[in-house]
Amino acid sequence: MLLGVARRLLSMVITLLGVSVVIFVILRLLPGNAVTASLGVSAGLLSHAQLAALDRYYGVGQPAVQQFVSWLVAVLTGNLGVSLASREPVATLIGAALPVTVELALVAIVLGLLIGVGLGMLGALHPGRLPDSVGQGVAVVGLGVPSFVLGTGIVTLLASVLHYFPSSQSFAGFFQNPWLNLQQIIFPALALSLGIGAAIMRTTRAAILEVSGQGFVRTARGKGLAPRTVSWRHLFLNSSIPIVTMTGIQLGYLLGGTVIVEQIFVLPGLGRLLVTSIANRDFPVVQSVTLLFAAAFVVVNMLTDILYTVIDPRTRAR
Amino acid sequence: MTAVGGGLLGHPDAAEVGLERRRAGWLRTLWRSRSGRVGLVLVGVVSLAGILGGVGLTPENPGVQSSSAVLRGPSPPHLFGTDQFGRDVFSLVLQGMGVSLEIAGIAVAIAAVVGTLGGITAGLLGRWPEALIMRGSDIIFAIPAILLALAIVTSLGASVIDSALAIGVGYVPIFVRVVRGPVLALREADFIRAGRVLGFSRRRLLFGHILPNVGGAVAVQTSLAFAWAILAEAGLSFLGLGPPPPTASLGEMVSQSSSLAGVAWWTLVGPSLAIVLAVIGFNFLGDGLRDAADPRSRTR
Repeated sequence: MLLGVARRLLSMVITLLGVSVVIFVILRLLPGNAVTASLGVSAGLLSHAQLAALDRYYGVGQPAVQQFVSWLVAVLTGNLGVSLASREPVATLIGAALPVTVELALVAIVLGLLIGVGLGMLGALHPGRLPDSVGQGVAVVGLGVPSFVLGTGIVTLLASVLHYFPSSQSFAGFFQNPWLNLQQIIFPALALSLGIGAAIMRTTRAAILEVSGQGFVRTARGKGLAPRTVSWRHLFLNSSIPIVTMTGIQLGYLLGGTVIVEQIFVLPGLGRLLVTSIANRDFPVVQSVTLLFAAAFVVVNMLTDILYTVIDPRTRAR
Repeated sequence: MTAVGGGLLGHPDAAEVGLERRRAGWLRTLWRSRSGRVGLVLVGVVSLAGILGGVGLTPENPGVQSSSAVLRGPSPPHLFGTDQFGRDVFSLVLQGMGVSLEIAGIAVAIAAVVGTLGGITAGLLGRWPEALIMRGSDIIFAIPAILLALAIVTSLGASVIDSALAIGVGYVPIFVRVVRGPVLALREADFIRAGRVLGFSRRRLLFGHILPNVGGAVAVQTSLAFAWAILAEAGLSFLGLGPPPPTASLGEMVSQSSSLAGVAWWTLVGPSLAIVLAVIGFNFLGDGLRDAADPRSRTR
């Protein structure tokens, strides 16, 4: 068990190292010099010597391998560098944006689980009946309507029909103003959760239908257990592995989805930071944020694996 | 010995008969499942729209602005209404669908070819090539695909080819995984061993026996990849990272409409409808293909 975790951790570190190389290589292909881009028009006023000095200061002129190694060493020692655009430490920028994205992702996944597991179980317990059809309909719409279309629709509806636009006020942290914070988070989370819910719903329905055909479920029903007990203890628990797998996968997609949805709802999260930084050719920020997203994805995958062993004792062997 | 002999003699015939029957009934099987039917129809409609838009057979010239017909609601001459420049939204949507399908098509082709080759190589060769390919695909897979596309597009530019490349790269690992699993199982399958013993060339084994057997999985994934690529393309152009302006793009139309949708809802509905129908169509087609390839997964 311990050896397994150690091996998994090592493999995770290697993957992340690979990720950092890939991101570094892709971003070094970027046309345009980040230093001149960050200076805007005033870059034209600088002499060659001044430009060279700036390049040296930001390390832009060095060979790529050297840049990579020095960046990696700095990251490992906790120094993410300084944003070329705002001159603030990258760690500060990320520190401010991270809680917003984490909150958004958590609310979205909880909503997705509620929608998905709820409709999925309802549908599987009454296959072919009305709740099932409703669930299937929601799944088709949820898988087909991209979060940015849904988000744009929600924003438009709220703003123009109901004259309600919580995002017009500056973002409130949960601990500053919980009520405003909730209003600002719930709609983007809803836009994200429909797709997640649809995927989880389909998985739940299929898993429960499969389990409910098995003998022990019939036995449980036959010996007179309450239907609710059978639903949760026999059906749900035995279907939870595929549901957990799908939730893990969706959490991964969710990280990417926040990028677009934060843009629509003007949430100052990591996704918005990333898009702004890409527009500004702000390498240090883009590098760190992308690496952070990848790290989160890898960690989620590992947690999913560990969760299997908690749920299903049979997977604990080896 | 008799068992091996039976396998050797029995197999090639059986394989060919099976293959023929599968080819003949392929479309019929697909049509028989509800998902396959809905998928085929939707993908057909969307493809037709894309082709019409791609070759310029739109009811009106999508580039022509008209100050006398600004923000008109849907009506017979303008099915999806007109936008803030008086352009016909329906024609713009057809054109955008064409671009979208073109980018998605190239992206999926890149992902399917590279991924399938990678998966077969990994599955057949084993040892270090497999380790290298699987590690590489794990690394790509660890970067959320839309972020990867975002990074590549910012770096290469947003022309049609660059967008397609950016979107395709992220889907390669999925093809690698989908193909490698069956290939691993096939490598040790009796009929492959038999073929090897009979002295079939590597090429014959690969193209005659291994590829057809992973073809179903690849077809399913190709359809799902199409749905994803259309979503990703729309997402990128929504963020302003799609092909530059003269090229129409569905994502950009959605993003533009957000400031107008309060007064002109049709500017949001037109392009959204096109994206949604395309995504649902390819998803259903993928489900249908899965049902056709594997009767056990048939949904009730």
